[in-house]
Amino acid sequence: MKIAITGIGIVSAIGCNCTQTLQSLLEQRSGIAPMRYLNSVHSDYLVGEVNLSNEELRQRLGLNNAPLPRTSLLGIMAAREAVAMCQATCDAFISGTTVGGMDLTEQHWHDYQSGKATENIRFHEAGESTRAIAEHLSMTIPQSSVITPSTACSSALNAIFLGCDMLRTGQAKRAIVGGAESLSLFHFNGFRTLMILDKQPCRPFDVNRNGLNLGEGAGYLVIENEADAIARGAKILGYVGGYANTCDAYHQTASSPEGKGAYLAMKSALEMSGLQPSDIDYINAHGTATANNDASESASFEHLFGTQQLPAISSTKAFTGHTTSASGGIEAVICVLAMNNGFIPANLRWEQTAEGLIIPVTQTLHQPVHHVLCNAFGFGGNESSLVLADHGIELSEAALVEPISVQTIDEQMVTKTLVTASEARRMTPQMRQLVSVARQALHNAGIDKPDAIVCATQWGCMLQSMRFLQDMIVSGEQELKPTPFIQSTHNAVASLIAILTGNHGYNNTYSQGQQSLACALTDIRSQMSLGRISSALVLEFDEQVAVWDEVLAHIGEQTHNIARARVYIKK
Amino acid sequence: MEQLIEQLKQQIIEALNFEDMTPADIATDAPLFGEGLGLDSIDALELLMLMDREYGIKIADPKAGKDIFRSVRTMAEYIQEHRTK
Repeated sequence: MKIAITGIGIVSAIGCNCTQTLQSLLEQRSGIAPMRYLNSVHSDYLVGEVNLSNEELRQRLGLNNAPLPRTSLLGIMAAREAVAMCQATCDAFISGTTVGGMDLTEQHWHDYQSGKATENIRFHEAGESTRAIAEHLSMTIPQSSVITPSTACSSALNAIFLGCDMLRTGQAKRAIVGGAESLSLFHFNGFRTLMILDKQPCRPFDVNRNGLNLGEGAGYLVIENEADAIARGAKILGYVGGYANTCDAYHQTASSPEGKGAYLAMKSALEMSGLQPSDIDYINAHGTATANNDASESASFEHLFGTQQLPAISSTKAFTGHTTSASGGIEAVICVLAMNNGFIPANLRWEQTAEGLIIPVTQTLHQPVHHVLCNAFGFGGNESSLVLADHGIELSEAALVEPISVQTIDEQMVTKTLVTASEARRMTPQMRQLVSVARQALHNAGIDKPDAIVCATQWGCMLQSMRFLQDMIVSGEQELKPTPFIQSTHNAVASLIAILTGNHGYNNTYSQGQQSLACALTDIRSQMSLGRISSALVLEFDEQVAVWDEVLAHIGEQTHNIARARVYIKK
Repeated sequence: MEQLIEQLKQQIIEALNFEDMTPADIATDAPLFGEGLGLDSIDALELLMLMDREYGIKIADPKAGKDIFRSVRTMAEYIQEHRTK
């Protein structure tokens, strides 16, 4: 099967559709600016905001006043553009996010506690913001094919990968894939505590770079079998050539100095495409402009391509800011625009290099672009790389096979902790339980390093999320600690297990309410069918937190402690 | 100074979750990073936040922590000189 791209949609700080985005890129017009809508006390930081208020977004989208997170509003705008372009109905919507409806939670926190804003509470679930986007498209997408990968800043690329796998295994005919993420005080302050935000416009790959600017937006591709696209006379904008996700398994937030995970992801993606490194015309780098990312990513480029044969490289985050979970979608769309319009976007504001840093493209280059590599890396070393091409690349298809469950271990079955004292220091009680059940399940299954670690969670890591949220609200964004933020992302658990077990394999996390486990199984079923993995650790977790249960009581629900590990193997 | 050192050790134990440790377990002049307590970059950020929270010391450059956090003593000396609360 050749996977054709027949629709693209994008909204970010540099435009609310493809036309505006293309114009901004060609004219080298950055969207980094002072805050307008993010209501932070730290207004001296610059951000890449979408230039529309929530009210203006609603108006443009023709929506009434029913509550929706900004993530969903941005997602609806971009997804509608992609669908309109492909001129057909789709049967899967896979959209990465981590922030989800956190903006509503932080704005209405006191109303949540007193039960005044009960209609918003559900949006705290990442998957719920995705479901809301799917509901506002002009088609009915089966519930089982509305899926939210949540691996922080690589979420949207991981969504694209799952969509491709679902096409190749006959589980979808035409999929909308990418991601959406709005700015929130929560992750803005989280990044602030990590001290990786620049107060100036960011300078990716520059020797004097001093951190990132946060951005927001959404970006989607519509993907389908080329044969179907040709049969219905659709315009083909490009092709997915290869893709891979790996884990750096190094640190909860930092990348390894040699960029091992990034190297492995790019190498595997290239191998799937059958292309050589020398075939790549352009790399859209992750390029956040933090000291650590750009050095590590540069090392991975030099490892894969050699210092003399580097293709043209730029980070478009100097235009959009770091759009976190949406970045893979937004930057994949930018790559499709680059291929269709024969140009390489500039890496704005770059001035000076230093040893170990790649030299990016500093002015828009007008030249044919046939093959592109697009990177997105997330917390926990979640490294994803996508190959796009202007011609079809044959990818194997497979009939679905069912994974076999060989072990199930839950928290009641592990009586003593399997976490050492030094490992335990920074872990929450739930993390200790999860590591214990994971280790026990792997031990029982006789598998040291499974090919994939996939987590499923409805609410995510709630203890640390609620800690950070309450500290932020109570202290007025003043007294915050980095550890709760780092451990608040949905994929903190999957990456922790990978780090502790030195596992560089596939790593993903799904958050789709009660369907989360089903999403994780869809993923490993697809990958096993395609022969990419033959074993997987699937961890199901949720965390009971009193303060959130008090909120949920207003809608007659509660959270539960779940820590269950299953090991699956291929038949 | 001795009182500040003692207080600081307690704050470090709490901020960095050294559950089973007491201030007596931390040598005042031992390195905090690498050997010694074996702290890492996340701990460094936690310590910067601790300095802000408890002593009103704001440090914008995370790299600056390197010298300040050589040992509990160097940290206490820096606090004594720069504290605003």
